[in-house]
Amino acid sequence: MAAIALSQLTKVYATGVKALDALDLEVADGEFVVLVGPSGCGKTTALRMVAGLERITSGTVSLGGQVVNDVSPRRRDIAMVFQNYALYPHLSVYSNIGFALENAKVGKAERDRRIRAAAETLGLGDLLGRKPKQLSGGQRQRVAMGRALVREPSVFLMDEPLSNLDAKLRVQMRTEVLRVHRSLGAATLYVTHDQTEAMTMGDRVAVLLGGVLQQYDTPRALYDRPANLFVATFIGSPSMNLYEAGLSADGGSVARPTVVLGSQRLDLPAPVAARVAAYQGRKVVVGIRPEDLVLGSGSGSGLAADVRLVEMLGSEQHVYFSIDATQAGQAAAGAAAGESVEAAILAASAPNGVTRLDPGVEVRPGDRVTFAVDPARLYFFDPDTGQAITG
Amino acid sequence: MSGTAVSTPARSAPQAAPGSGFRVRPGHSAWARRRDRRGLAFVSPFLVAFTLFMIVPLAYAIYDSLFTSRIIGGTTFSGFSNYTQILTSGMFWSGVVRVIIFGAIQIPVMLIIAFFFATAFDLGVAKYGRSFRTIFFIPFAVPVVVAALMWGFLFEPVYGPFSHLANLFGFHNVDFLSSGLMLPSIIVIAIWEWTGYNSLILYTALRSVPRDVVEAAILDDTPLWKIIVKVKLPMVRPAIVMLIFLNTIGALQLFVEPLILNNYSAGVVTLNWTPVLYIFNTSINSAQYNLGAAMAVVLGLVIVAISVTSLLFRRDRGEVS
Amino acid sequence: MTTVTERPAASPAPSAESRRDRRRRERIEEQDAAIPVELYGLKRGTVPVLTACCVLFAVFTLVPVAWIIFNATKTQANIFGTFGFWFARPFEFFHNFRMLFENVDDDGTYIQWFGNTALYAVLGGGGATALAAFAGYGFAMFRFRGSKVLFYIIIGSLLVPIGAITLPLYLVYAKAHLINSIWGLILPSMVAPVGVYLMRTYIGLSVPRELVDAARIDGAGEARIFFKIALPLMVPGLMTVLLLSVVGVWNNYFLPLIIFSDNNKFPLTVGMGLWSQHATTSGDQNLYPLIVMGGLVTIAPLIILFLILQRYWRSGMLLGSIAN
Repeated sequence: MAAIALSQLTKVYATGVKALDALDLEVADGEFVVLVGPSGCGKTTALRMVAGLERITSGTVSLGGQVVNDVSPRRRDIAMVFQNYALYPHLSVYSNIGFALENAKVGKAERDRRIRAAAETLGLGDLLGRKPKQLSGGQRQRVAMGRALVREPSVFLMDEPLSNLDAKLRVQMRTEVLRVHRSLGAATLYVTHDQTEAMTMGDRVAVLLGGVLQQYDTPRALYDRPANLFVATFIGSPSMNLYEAGLSADGGSVARPTVVLGSQRLDLPAPVAARVAAYQGRKVVVGIRPEDLVLGSGSGSGLAADVRLVEMLGSEQHVYFSIDATQAGQAAAGAAAGESVEAAILAASAPNGVTRLDPGVEVRPGDRVTFAVDPARLYFFDPDTGQAITG
Repeated sequence: MSGTAVSTPARSAPQAAPGSGFRVRPGHSAWARRRDRRGLAFVSPFLVAFTLFMIVPLAYAIYDSLFTSRIIGGTTFSGFSNYTQILTSGMFWSGVVRVIIFGAIQIPVMLIIAFFFATAFDLGVAKYGRSFRTIFFIPFAVPVVVAALMWGFLFEPVYGPFSHLANLFGFHNVDFLSSGLMLPSIIVIAIWEWTGYNSLILYTALRSVPRDVVEAAILDDTPLWKIIVKVKLPMVRPAIVMLIFLNTIGALQLFVEPLILNNYSAGVVTLNWTPVLYIFNTSINSAQYNLGAAMAVVLGLVIVAISVTSLLFRRDRGEVS
Repeated sequence: MTTVTERPAASPAPSAESRRDRRRRERIEEQDAAIPVELYGLKRGTVPVLTACCVLFAVFTLVPVAWIIFNATKTQANIFGTFGFWFARPFEFFHNFRMLFENVDDDGTYIQWFGNTALYAVLGGGGATALAAFAGYGFAMFRFRGSKVLFYIIIGSLLVPIGAITLPLYLVYAKAHLINSIWGLILPSMVAPVGVYLMRTYIGLSVPRELVDAARIDGAGEARIFFKIALPLMVPGLMTVLLLSVVGVWNNYFLPLIIFSDNNKFPLTVGMGLWSQHATTSGDQNLYPLIVMGGLVTIAPLIILFLILQRYWRSGMLLGSIAN
């Protein structure tokens, strides 16, 4: 029995806006599931419907096997951490954490024990007497977590709890959150717009766009086998390079098609060719992850490119290049009516790809380089639907 | 604030010549000072009017209060004798006591009613909230004089509708404007006049409570009364304190209602019924301006004392401001 | 304030919607934005009880207004003789209304009073709003020496009882021969410390410092910045202060009472007060219907003004300032 089960969950606002479209999702006991997507994708709406804070238009929310659509949020045995922490400003940290226990009429001694235990876990022991306005952002966030933790709920909901923290703190808190999750052992539904958080924290990740679930899988699977263009570009930083390409058989036999990228061709080995057989002779979108492009001609397939820009990050460098293939999703550069000559020239020399290289590699803007491409690491997508071609 | 020519900050910011020992204090550069002076220019029209029509009369009142005018002998400096006269005047202080009692009853009752409705509207529990809020606010559009006139008619002991109503319920010969019931009647009028306004302010304060705090309270399974009293109420404390402050100042200066109601029930409202009435009668009707001025000063000090006490009360509770 | 949900806000093109549709949509959006009532855990029957309370208080609020409406149509005898909350024959509405245009036993003409009040209110209220806007802007945007102290003094003036200011003002006028001058009423009415307070708070919230700084860097003069950039952003605040100031002048009784000896200069408050006095002291003046009708005509414009300004008026302003 799943701890959380969403079935065809839909939310349509009275104004007609559809925030969530038939979401199906299951979270197992003790699992940490991340809902990720850009602003307005419906992830927070879904979370709030699980909490009971938002009216459900259609579909069901089940907790522990029981449909809870009509159950008040007070009775659902869930705890939630809000994006802006939602601490009671006039109460001390101690009272903030203990508020729910007071409501549940937990005895004073027991309450005190639990509050202090939660505070201990989160390193808030010294701050119990302070008021929220005397705390830093990170401390407030921990109080919010403590408030949820102390209730020992069966379901933990988190609404972008780290997005108001600065970058460094966010990285620290990621481990904190996971530690708390593991100590609690409750099923957790975590909402974020940050794909790094999703990838590093989730047991499974649900990617949403425009209210529709794009893919629900382990981080590894999302990375290796993205279901569509959106997931492919959303996961991984820098984003996957996408190009318009064609699959043709001339120059090779029918059994050995090539990918035509602008003026260049890449041979496809048999297993890959089998996958894309249905698109023989048609246009496709080809994706290459930046980390899959390495310098030097390796096993046959090579891609010539002009280096445009080098960003030195210390631990790696991001090298921006251009090849003469068309970037997918880009309106044909310069073809728009009225575009000036300068714009067209600029567009022609703008980088349309990026790769990640070791810091020691010597590249400079203006260099002409050849990247080794492992065809097995190529991703193919239908140019019209954006769906991944899986054969 | 003339349309002076542009002075771009970059150009006019003084450069500290290296080694010159001249240090530029941030915010006090010549440019910053010039800019700040323009701020003064914005404020000056108001300041001029303020000085002319508030400071000057006030100063004059204080000055005047130190003199005494007699028909024989003219105006002479009398130091604090006016003040001693007032401080020992039973007539003055009975008026003060009366308005304090008035405020002590009217303000809490009105605030409770106002908070009740403000909460009902905020929670969305009452239907047609917006229409009701508009209706409740109508008394604010009624000048106090007109309100007093109308309520005077309603309360009128012989012919007024309320007397008829009282008769229906078995209370005969109720004179709402008798000396016994005058103050309660005025309390009713004051509640009528001010509840809508206070309710609107409280409603707005309640609306500004962040939604997620209330949602957190709901998830914490907080019962409704506790949400109102322990979560929302503390968060609107600044508004409540300000309202108590403003209402107190108003209550202590009760003037128009008794003055008008006296026309319906002659003699009940004595010359010294409220401090401001006493000041008014002393200054205008008896032409004892000096004494009146001194009374005004004393009343002002009383108001300051009471109002400041209410503010200190708030800080004592260590409230979130 | 929290944006809890990144809600895609889509609204139909404004021209395509009728006013009623728009209002309905706004009401639905408002409901959507509020916490659903059922989450509060109310017992059944709470809503009807609360609605009943609201109705009761609404009745209480409207009783005097209803009474004025009904009794403005009656003769003096009927005002006292017949049931207060319904009409009676003869229906004297128009007769009473016409009487407002006449000078009733030398107390002055209502219509004149009305015109006076309107004049004072517009000039005084408008002036107060202007001064408050300038001053509020000065306090909000600039940090000059003593601005804090000055501001506290201005707010502190609220503590001073009206007698301490208006009565000596009368004496000052006497010396300056300003007794009975309409400017003697209008000019002091332009001093509204509450307005300054409200405007300063509102400007602080609605005019971003960065905008003004950017304009300065672009070389705009302070006056230009105020009128072209800040002023449009202040409008809701201005409307609120305007409303409050106009109402304040309209209601003003004490000051005009003591400075005007000329009937023609009375505002409505003083005039009606005088009528009320005469109605009782000189028995059979038939003034009562006039007082009631006068009352009705006095409150009607303000109520209408409210309803009009309501859409501009941010009640949030009245209060947001207090919370600061």
